[in-house]
Amino acid sequence: MKGNLKNNKKNGNIYIPLNGRIEEIIQLTSDVRLFKAKTEIPIDYKPGQFFMISVWGSGEIPISVTSLPEKNGMPELCIRKTGVVTTAIHSLQTGQFVGLRGPYGNGFPMDISKGRDVVIVAGGIGIAPLRPLIQQFIKKPNETGKVTLLYGSRTPDEIIFRDEVEDWKKSGITVVLTVDKGNDNWNGNIGLVTGFWPEVRTNFKNAVAYICGPEVMIKAAMRDLFFLGMPDDRIITTLESHMKCGVGKCGHCYAGPKYICTDGPVFSYKEIKEQSILK
Amino acid sequence: MKGEFILDRNHLSYWLRQMRKSRELIGPLMDGGKDIVFKSVDKIHELVLDCPASLPSPKEFLFPQYESMLRFTPLHLPLTKGGQGGVSLSEKAIEDLSDKTKRVIFGVRSCDISALSLMDKFYIEGHKDPYYARRRENTLFISIVCNNPDPTCFCIGLGTGPYLEKGFDIQMTDLGDRYFVQIGSHEGAKTVKAMSFLFRRPQKTDYEDQYEVFLSSKARFHKRINLEGIRQMILEEKVKDDFWQWVAGRCFECGGCVYDCPLCTCFTVTDRTYSEGIERVRLWDTCMFKGFTRMAGGVLPNEKMVKRTKRWYYHKLIYYPESLGGFGCVGCGRCTITCPGKIDMASIAARLKGLVLNEEEE
Ligand SMILES: Cc1cc2nc3c(=O)[nH]c(=O)nc-3n(C[C@H](O)[C@H](O)[C@H](O)COP(=O)(O)OP(=O)(O)OC[C@H]3O[C@@H](n4cnc5c(N)ncnc54)[C@H](O)[C@@H]3O)c2cc1C
Ligand code: SF4
Ligand code: SF4
Ligand code: FES
Repeated sequence: MKGNLKNNKKNGNIYIPLNGRIEEIIQLTSDVRLFKAKTEIPIDYKPGQFFMISVWGSGEIPISVTSLPEKNGMPELCIRKTGVVTTAIHSLQTGQFVGLRGPYGNGFPMDISKGRDVVIVAGGIGIAPLRPLIQQFIKKPNETGKVTLLYGSRTPDEIIFRDEVEDWKKSGITVVLTVDKGNDNWNGNIGLVTGFWPEVRTNFKNAVAYICGPEVMIKAAMRDLFFLGMPDDRIITTLESHMKCGVGKCGHCYAGPKYICTDGPVFSYKEIKEQSILK
Repeated sequence: MKGEFILDRNHLSYWLRQMRKSRELIGPLMDGGKDIVFKSVDKIHELVLDCPASLPSPKEFLFPQYESMLRFTPLHLPLTKGGQGGVSLSEKAIEDLSDKTKRVIFGVRSCDISALSLMDKFYIEGHKDPYYARRRENTLFISIVCNNPDPTCFCIGLGTGPYLEKGFDIQMTDLGDRYFVQIGSHEGAKTVKAMSFLFRRPQKTDYEDQYEVFLSSKARFHKRINLEGIRQMILEEKVKDDFWQWVAGRCFECGGCVYDCPLCTCFTVTDRTYSEGIERVRLWDTCMFKGFTRMAGGVLPNEKMVKRTKRWYYHKLIYYPESLGGFGCVGCGRCTITCPGKIDMASIAARLKGLVLNEEEE
């Protein structure tokens, strides 16, 4: 197969997706699967960016990259089944194809974490865009101070990347796991992530935070961290919205004066307040 | 070749006929004896030149209401709906359906031409939208200075009409028995040059008559609207939420304002399955609809109507100037004609001005 990327450039059409052959599917929880998709040409991308993923006949949706770029060109996508397109993706088998456009969006700012303690706050599927960040910090442990992951799920069974979380711990990440509702096998924390700030033994004033999860959680976490002394330009989050194009044209992802697809999806708390992005 | 010419009125239809040999000719035609619609012209004598604004705007030739973007043809395995289609792909599986038809759009108004410069910025800068860009490259616009503005027009306060200094391909002023023709782009020059024997150089009287038309046209406006003043009021937070609440209360959520506006750009994308394959199509969409920002699981970030009507005005009056350097309104007056709630741009501007005047009197 000849390279599609070249082809894309040739006719200059940003809406033509690359073909991504699904090489591997891993069932992570009852409704979340990890897809490894191989494109003919390796694509470069940064943590916090996203692809427009499509299944022909069903449609196209934004999905974050959930892995660091690799030489073999297999971006990993962690997808929760919630509606039309995600269900269509979940019905695919290895050897079948998804369409892939991107990467789009600004990605997480990495320079601000240099030499600082890092607090990563994840809620549910919000772990997906944060995972490559964690992988990056593990890969380059000397570039940051202490890294703490505060990760909340609804139930113990819904903890995504549960095995990997153990590896992360071994690699030096401090992990605080919590669930909204426990079960018989659970003897860990119960409660919202925002109830566990004392477990994050960090000097918040000098640290940086990366947050992703449901909007209510994001809002609460940003506000708390700000009150704990973290400067608002170092409280970073990534936002979700309805997206039809990913490239700043369709208008669906507007938030105040900004388009989440091209101005974001990563914003600082400072920008969010100044631009009235989250209301 | 200099940029100004005179075309005898009797030569117009010949000129258009010649142009039609290499391009599809689009112009304003009477539809059902009432509305003006830009359509492919069959009989040139049916063109309506001194007409009210078309509904919708000619933007539909650059950004159509419905446009097929891509066709996907599964090659080996049978196609099943809902994404079950496990397919092998080849290079030819995806076909680009962008429209590259050469067109000339004749009789466009100045305001609609002014809108193009912002549309170009929006669609072409940054990530280049190939569908818009290709249509734009292949379309020549011939605009006509408005001798008789509609009662709803207010371009005059915005510098977007009734005539233009720049930004046009070819601008024509009707001087009765002849047209004053100005060239504003390379493509426009080429078109006139190809038929140069039809044109002569303007003389002193031609310039005087053109100036006369400009003056009398300007004098004929009913509406003087200062959007900059309204923008300032909003920025100074003089417009309170109860005003937007009132606006929202009157909105029928019909989307008419958005569809008719030469500067509204939003669309949705959907896949349609046909026997020949799957087409990814885009359609006009509007931020006035509740579902516009709908997210997975049915979450509606802009559920309240007031957020949406207010955003429309903020977008056009505050965000557009910030991001594209001009208002998201060129004063064409179409929303005034369309809006059943009488909360169109001109009415809102007039009401806001009144609001302040009243407050000052109190
Ligand atoms: C930047 C970004 C990154 C994301 N990353 C991830 C990720 O890594 N993993 C993940 O699981 N999720 C992610 N999401 C969320 C994901 O995009 C949504 O879950 C997905 O769009 C749901 O699509 P669906 O068709 O399955 O759901 P549905 O609820 O069926 O539909 C969602 C979309 O389909 C359209 N739609 C379908 N039906 C209607 C209707 N009746 N009316 C109007 N519109 C309709 C709309 O476009 C709507 O937004 C991300 C979102 C964003 C913005
Ligand atoms: S806002 Fe109304 S008057 Fe202004 S350009 Fe759009 S349709 Fe015309
Ligand atoms: S035309 Fe008027 S009623 Fe219709 S959506 Fe626009 S503002 Fe609302
Ligand atoms: S997704 Fe289309 S403008 Fe952002």
